[in-house]
Amino acid sequence: MSELSIEAVHLSRRFGSFLAVDDVSFSAARGEIFGYLGANGAGKSTTIRMLCGLLAPTAGEARVAGFDVKTAPESVKASIGYMSQKFSLYLDLPVRDNLDFFGGAYGLSGPDFAARADEVLRLCDLEHERDAITGSLPGGIRQRLALGCAILHRPAVLFLDEPTAGVDPVSRRHFWRLIRRLAREGTTIFVTTHYLDEAEYCGRIGLMVDGRLVALDTPAALKRRYVPGRVLSVRGRNLASAAASLRSRPGIIAVEPFGAGLHLQVAAENWNADSVAQALASAGAQAVEVESGEPTLEDVFLAVVARPREVRHD
Amino acid sequence: MTRPMRFLVRVGAMASKEVMHIRRDPRTLYMALAMPVVMLLIFGFGVSFDMDRIPLVVLDGDRSVASRALVRAVSAGHEFVIAADSDEATALRMIRRGQALAALAIPADYQRDLAAGRDGEVQLIVDGADGVVANQILAKIDGLVRAESLRRIDLAAEPPLQVKVFTLFNPEARSALFMVPGLAVYLLAIAAVLLTALTVSGEWERGSMEQLFASPVGRLEIVLGKLLPYLGLGMLQLLLVVAVGAVIFDVPIRGSVALLFFVGFLFLAGMLGQGLFISVVARSQLVATQAGALSSLLPSLLLSGMLVPIENMPRILQALSSVIPARYFVHAMRGIMLKGSGLSILWTDLVALTIFALAILALATTRFRRKLA
Repeated sequence: MSELSIEAVHLSRRFGSFLAVDDVSFSAARGEIFGYLGANGAGKSTTIRMLCGLLAPTAGEARVAGFDVKTAPESVKASIGYMSQKFSLYLDLPVRDNLDFFGGAYGLSGPDFAARADEVLRLCDLEHERDAITGSLPGGIRQRLALGCAILHRPAVLFLDEPTAGVDPVSRRHFWRLIRRLAREGTTIFVTTHYLDEAEYCGRIGLMVDGRLVALDTPAALKRRYVPGRVLSVRGRNLASAAASLRSRPGIIAVEPFGAGLHLQVAAENWNADSVAQALASAGAQAVEVESGEPTLEDVFLAVVARPREVRHD
Repeated sequence: MTRPMRFLVRVGAMASKEVMHIRRDPRTLYMALAMPVVMLLIFGFGVSFDMDRIPLVVLDGDRSVASRALVRAVSAGHEFVIAADSDEATALRMIRRGQALAALAIPADYQRDLAAGRDGEVQLIVDGADGVVANQILAKIDGLVRAESLRRIDLAAEPPLQVKVFTLFNPEARSALFMVPGLAVYLLAIAAVLLTALTVSGEWERGSMEQLFASPVGRLEIVLGKLLPYLGLGMLQLLLVVAVGAVIFDVPIRGSVALLFFVGFLFLAGMLGQGLFISVVARSQLVATQAGALSSLLPSLLLSGMLVPIENMPRILQALSSVIPARYFVHAMRGIMLKGSGLSILWTDLVALTIFALAILALATTRFRRKLA
């Protein structure tokens, strides 16, 4: 088997006249955490569904765990774990019954399976909840159970479609510890998210805009490429009008509203925190505080979405 | 693990999950077991086509020995009670108000005509608003008046012709005997279609169907896993309904009990398949409930021959009823329970039920795609 766990080549999917996924190509190596970012409707779930053999591609090819999704979808299904957007557990059943059912669905039974189910309960930190009715548990625990159900059969590739939507930050952290552990043990993880802080955990990130994969690299490389120069975060009053006058000055690469303040991308040779603060103050802003910071993936995302066309032709 | 082994494990997983759902939600059990019994009791006791104590107004214009004998003959049994002995205006008013359902008018020269050897003529005025009731009144009066005239002839001489009626299978014409097998069919049809329609559409609504499709579980495994537990539950229902019929309504099982349950099995398989088909197409619990109730309730009630004899239907409805499985099951149930019919008579019903079950299950499984779009 090749070391590539996922290989998508010119993958497209059309719904009527709507091109949900447009000529997407990428690959993920064994044990890699591959993040897939994009706005709602950008084509993330459609890509996952094609890779899981749930949806036939309109054009292009994909191999998952060594099997072609078009010609051998059953072999694909047997080698992957899939956690869909609204992790569809049976809420009226206890935790352990959910595990038993999904184990059976993957053809697992007997003492080996019982031992594996216990192991998964331990791994996902669900030992105290094994007899609790799933519907009575908070979202974070249900999410770990859904993950547990998806890894019972030790899949080679794990697809997670927005696994942390609506889950509290502590549980999200806990969840990602589990994901990284699985990846270290050799499971390839394909995860969509729109929490950009989570995307930092990914080995590589693909950015989807309107069905196209417009950027693909490690988080650090994406930042270097799309957010060159220095990132300054600015707080203060009357920032908007002051910033507008700054836009045309040489060395100012981008001005983006960020929370209550601004993120400024500036060329390092022309600007620093003090000179930006001075310039803003003289343009009418008050109580200006400038901090230089690391570029975040959010800066990358905004930069990419703002100019998808330029990027496409790279 | 071998392939057939995995197949069994997966079907087993689907089926035992369904059993767990049923155990967790007693409403399903209530709907499946208590409802049919409760409805059987209500219908069995409540719906009776045997009318008695029908209020009748007598308009005796003769007031003779002969006319009083006729009135006595009519009112001696439990069929009619004399609501009033009055004039025509009162009789019409009472019928209009529903205080009486019929009036018997005896003309002034009734006794004289009879004595002179002429025909004695009496008039019956019937409230025809309810056709079933009117027909029963006509039949009952006709029988009573005929008996009275026979009695009169008997006084003179032996009548030349006499019909001796001997009713087979249900000599007392008890509604329960006729209704219970039909009701059993009706209740099973509704419960079976609704139960499956709900459980499969529930998987769509919950999103778990997508999860199942992403696993190696095949559609045949899903279908079998969904059907088997409800087939078992349906057989339990059948047992319960037949037992309630036997114990409470004294409905006999003159034929083979094994054959009865085998026919029940075929019928249930078809009904469960119908529920499955609906939920595969509908994908929402609300739509599936309505479509399930409509498609099982109305045809089973109206076209199965349970209430209205199929021979009395317009030709187009007769044709339609031939694709309603309940029709064959009603026929077979009545045959087995009341007449003691065996395979040699009921084989056509078995063939029809088998064809329906196989066809609808094949259709549902084919329509049930494991792709999302």
